[in-house]
Amino acid sequence: MERVGIDIGGTFTDLVGLRDGVIVIDKCSTTPDDPTRGVADTLANVDADIASIRDFLHGTTIAINTVLERKGASTALITTRGFRDVYAMGRNNRPEAFNLEFRRPRPLVPRSLTWEASARMTATGEEIEPLDDAEIEAIGAALLTAGVSSVAVCLIHAYADTSHERRIGDILARVCPDIFVSLSHDILREYREYERTSTTALNAYVGPRVRTYLDRLQGFLGEHAFGGNIQIMRSNGGTMSLGQARVQPVTMMESGPVAGMIAAGRVADALGLGQCIGFDMGGTTAKASLITDGAPEISEDYYIGGYASGQPMQLPVVDIVEVGAGGGSIAWTDARGGLHVGPESAGADPGPACYGKGGADPVVTDADLVLRRLNAGRFLSGRMGLDPALSEAAIKMKIADPLGLTVADAALGIARIADASMSLAVRTVSVERGCDPRDTAMIAFGGAGPLHAVSIAREIYIPRVIIPRYPGNFSALGMLLAPWRQDFVQTFVGDLARIDAAAAEAAFDALRAAGRDRIAEEGLSEDAADFQFAADLRYRGQEHTIPVPLAGPDDLGGGGSDALRATFDRLHDRRYGHAAPDESIQIVNLRLILRAAVSDTSSDWMTATYVPEDARPDETRDVIFEDSTAPVASRIVWRPGLAPGTVIDGPAVIEEPNSTVLIYPGDVATVTEHGHLDIAVAGAK
Amino acid sequence: MNVHPVTLEVVRNALVAYSEDMATALCKSAYNMMIYEVRDYCCGLIDTEGRMISQNKGGLPIFLADLGAAVLDGIERYGLDGFEPGDAVIMNHAQVCGQHLNNIVIYTPCFHEGEIVAFAANRAHWVDVGGTRVGFGSYATTEIFQEGLQLRSIKIYEAGERNEAVWQILQDNLRFPESSLGDLRAQIASCSLGERRLSEIYGRYGADTVRACIAEIWDQAEAEAREVIEEIPDGVYSASSLLDNDGRTLDKPLDVRVTVTVAGDEMTIDYSDMNLQVPTPLNSGFSGGLAAARVAFKCLTMPDAPVNEGCFRSLHLISPEGTIVNAKSPAAIGLWSIMLPTVIDTILKALAPAIPDKIPAAHKGDMGGVSFYGYREGDGRRFLLMNIFGGGWGGRPDGDGESAAVSICQGDVRNVPIEVQETNFPFIVEEFGLRADSGGAGRHRGGLGTVITYRCLQKTSANINLERIVDPPWGVMGGATGRSNVAIVRRTDGTEQSVTKETNIQLDAGDRVTFLTAGGGGYGEAGDRDGAEIDADLREGFVSAKGAADEYGYTPASEAAE
Repeated sequence: MERVGIDIGGTFTDLVGLRDGVIVIDKCSTTPDDPTRGVADTLANVDADIASIRDFLHGTTIAINTVLERKGASTALITTRGFRDVYAMGRNNRPEAFNLEFRRPRPLVPRSLTWEASARMTATGEEIEPLDDAEIEAIGAALLTAGVSSVAVCLIHAYADTSHERRIGDILARVCPDIFVSLSHDILREYREYERTSTTALNAYVGPRVRTYLDRLQGFLGEHAFGGNIQIMRSNGGTMSLGQARVQPVTMMESGPVAGMIAAGRVADALGLGQCIGFDMGGTTAKASLITDGAPEISEDYYIGGYASGQPMQLPVVDIVEVGAGGGSIAWTDARGGLHVGPESAGADPGPACYGKGGADPVVTDADLVLRRLNAGRFLSGRMGLDPALSEAAIKMKIADPLGLTVADAALGIARIADASMSLAVRTVSVERGCDPRDTAMIAFGGAGPLHAVSIAREIYIPRVIIPRYPGNFSALGMLLAPWRQDFVQTFVGDLARIDAAAAEAAFDALRAAGRDRIAEEGLSEDAADFQFAADLRYRGQEHTIPVPLAGPDDLGGGGSDALRATFDRLHDRRYGHAAPDESIQIVNLRLILRAAVSDTSSDWMTATYVPEDARPDETRDVIFEDSTAPVASRIVWRPGLAPGTVIDGPAVIEEPNSTVLIYPGDVATVTEHGHLDIAVAGAK
Repeated sequence: MNVHPVTLEVVRNALVAYSEDMATALCKSAYNMMIYEVRDYCCGLIDTEGRMISQNKGGLPIFLADLGAAVLDGIERYGLDGFEPGDAVIMNHAQVCGQHLNNIVIYTPCFHEGEIVAFAANRAHWVDVGGTRVGFGSYATTEIFQEGLQLRSIKIYEAGERNEAVWQILQDNLRFPESSLGDLRAQIASCSLGERRLSEIYGRYGADTVRACIAEIWDQAEAEAREVIEEIPDGVYSASSLLDNDGRTLDKPLDVRVTVTVAGDEMTIDYSDMNLQVPTPLNSGFSGGLAAARVAFKCLTMPDAPVNEGCFRSLHLISPEGTIVNAKSPAAIGLWSIMLPTVIDTILKALAPAIPDKIPAAHKGDMGGVSFYGYREGDGRRFLLMNIFGGGWGGRPDGDGESAAVSICQGDVRNVPIEVQETNFPFIVEEFGLRADSGGAGRHRGGLGTVITYRCLQKTSANINLERIVDPPWGVMGGATGRSNVAIVRRTDGTEQSVTKETNIQLDAGDRVTFLTAGGGGYGEAGDRDGAEIDADLREGFVSAKGAADEYGYTPASEAAE
């Protein structure tokens, strides 16, 4: 096996491998006590010869779970004198406006482990108070006494001048070499002290545990004579080396979901879809992302644990809108007869009622089973039998009886409510980003995505749905397709019309040099790397910026800035529905996105003609679509046996090892040359 | 008409999502920090009778009352058949809206099959609307005409055509036209988005079904609120507190008196004994008093549920004209919101004997902010820095009060990062942290206030409006009061001056201003506080050794043993 992508999720560990140019897939249970065991299991399932693996691509939930479960390192914080409470105070806001019981997110570092350094820079990087080495040495000694294993360093305006932080890093490396040190400017160079501190503290908090895990994984692979290259998936849609993951573990926070969107982007590219929506539905949540020119959008305001009570992370994350609706989302009723779905999930244990593991709450998967959309005997290739009677009993007791509905009507209601809430998420990423759903297509994946995709498309008038190959292993697939990527940002504030050419030149040079250094560290060739610059722009007075691509410093000065401003006006109008061509534009940040594409055969399958397995005979089942009293006799088709060009008219259910596709009456699915399902949605006019 | 529970749920989620989408669009493309950072806005859908169909969750809580009142004024003026697609109405008239003139309402009509079905509306704070002083917050005004431009239900767009005359008037009479007209564009774009979304749901389900769903959603909200009130013992509950003064006659506090009557599943809030209106801008119109009553009611009945018309059907308000919460026009109302946190705290205080397990002690109780302004040395450009400060919240039945949090009138309002302030304005912030010992002692301690020090880098003016100094955040169930707000001006010549309410303070390079914000009141007797909690407070530095000894009579176990 030359290349392998392994994605550790909450429930399953997925594998997609490339063996002699052929894709191999597997799914096995995640082993939370020692995730490496799940990795070993799935590699064993496909008889992988670890010694022959050249590229090992990996995504894991270890970083995010460490935060959500608060199982990170005992962490300290060093900040500028006068600001030790910035991290604990946050932005002083109360997102739950009417809640007298509100609680701010508990910081990962207590006040008693926060130290102040008497060094100070201005916003332009001028020193107004020097660093006192002796003071830092004393803090280092205090860290040892306190017994912390990690420390975050975040000084005011360190994004503008890094010298104080670097000096602190040097001193700590000498005084307390065993403590994990995160310097804020190593993580990001952007203003807003609370968000930067939080991001740096997150890095410090997860750092030691992630290191231990990576060491264990590396050790395991090493025992099997692995001689290849390990790359870790990060939230920005690219990968990084193991060495980089040890320094910036915070950037792997959302690695799994992001990888699925990367794969969707590549499929979109292969199909020539300029703009489309990636839709991923798993066990606990559904996620949607707008994909333009083969790449998902990136955003920078991300909160681990949700906006109201989560920890901010000011880093590029693939822009994913998430709703608490997945196959395992629990349906429930309130005292006044309202029916709701989620956000609570039954998870993997006890799971849906139909798993027979003692789950008493009906979930979306139970509804799908009662509606006969799912095949009780073929779930996960038949390795997990489902019991429809248990689903019916749970829906009857918890939903149908309290609301005075039939079981079938209640099941249909659960599916419709889940679909409606997911369609709101899809609408958010499309309409809000200036994309009309009627002109677009949706690429649906994840275990449950293909089952609900057409219903969602009908809800918001998306005329075309693509179910790619391997929809149930799509995140692991995405890892094989992701480029190596490193983001750099430098706060650079000024009027676009009055940029100082020398300062712009210097800022670009600094970014370029940082990029070159990183390439050298990674042992990559500069020829293989793609340097892409952008400027974060806004109208004077605004806060939120839009990144606008540019070639280099020349684009910022003189005639070049006219083109840049026109691009910005156009982007602003598209996104927000208005523009102000007469008003001055401000630049806030310069960005460098550095990518190195993987040049190998991982994507060959996307352009090769699909060769089907042996066909299996069709079956027929009465499936409930829109009327619970009138099930529709539907074709049940085995997807792996469908040859390119095959056309299937709805109503139909197309089944495959790790997923199920539902085709409504009137819709038409066609198997493309490369094995994807291309569905024309009739209900979406 | 009976609606299917599933359709109802779909429509309910969609209507709330539309208001949220409108808010996101406004917030992300607005031109002033009062909108994008302070979230001083609200967005919602209003029916053709001025009733609230849905409202966004994250905006300013005191905006949950009366977008409808603004829309109704336009309906009276133009008639429902006087609107057409592409219209956009601008509105801030004091007599109708009852809020300072900076709060600009924009709304657009929504049509379905040629018939007007609703309005998409928002209200947002503009940095300036003309008037005697830059921004707002001057204590000098005595009548509304000194506080800026009034715009009463004017179509700024008519069938898609901009009203150039009005546009010109705005451009010529605002101090920051770039910013405000940008906000205006963002507000209109936000309404258009709401319009488009609403037409989707009408298109899918039809007008009758959507109307039936809205009626049912209101009924459900009403029932939910009634259930909670039913649990409160019937009775007549009164409380009073003091506002410091009217800003001009400094030695005369203002009375805040409320009476809350609970009878069955209905609640009446009565402002009849409230202080009479004052000749300064420390008044609000009817809307201010209504907002305070509704915020208190919402916190008690259904804090997490979306806001709509049905939430408040079981709340009655008696608010006679001529008081500080319903001032008679043309009273000045520039500081309309200053007293609202105290009014809300007082309503909660009245109910404390009835539901002691639900009511926290008083919170910091003011809107907590500063504006610094002047002309930048160098390019001479005008600048205006506004920042909002959090403070302590009261100890609660189940735990300590939260520290450094904005007032009950400000929900998802965020302060301005130090690094952003120093990048854009001529100041160095020397310190920003928690104010130790400021939380009122109690079994559950009040949350801590904050301390922030600005050093001016050039000549600057400042407006400071602090409140609740005469009557600092009180404790309940025997808890102690929190420390009150104070600002200290320290000049380069060594003089020091404590300031509470002052407009247009002149500062020079090197002068410093420190704000110490109030702590929350304590809940329960200080003597009942768990020793381990006091130890933790000492370890974290929230309470000093002296504070522990003075307020709690406590000596740490380690020291006692020595």
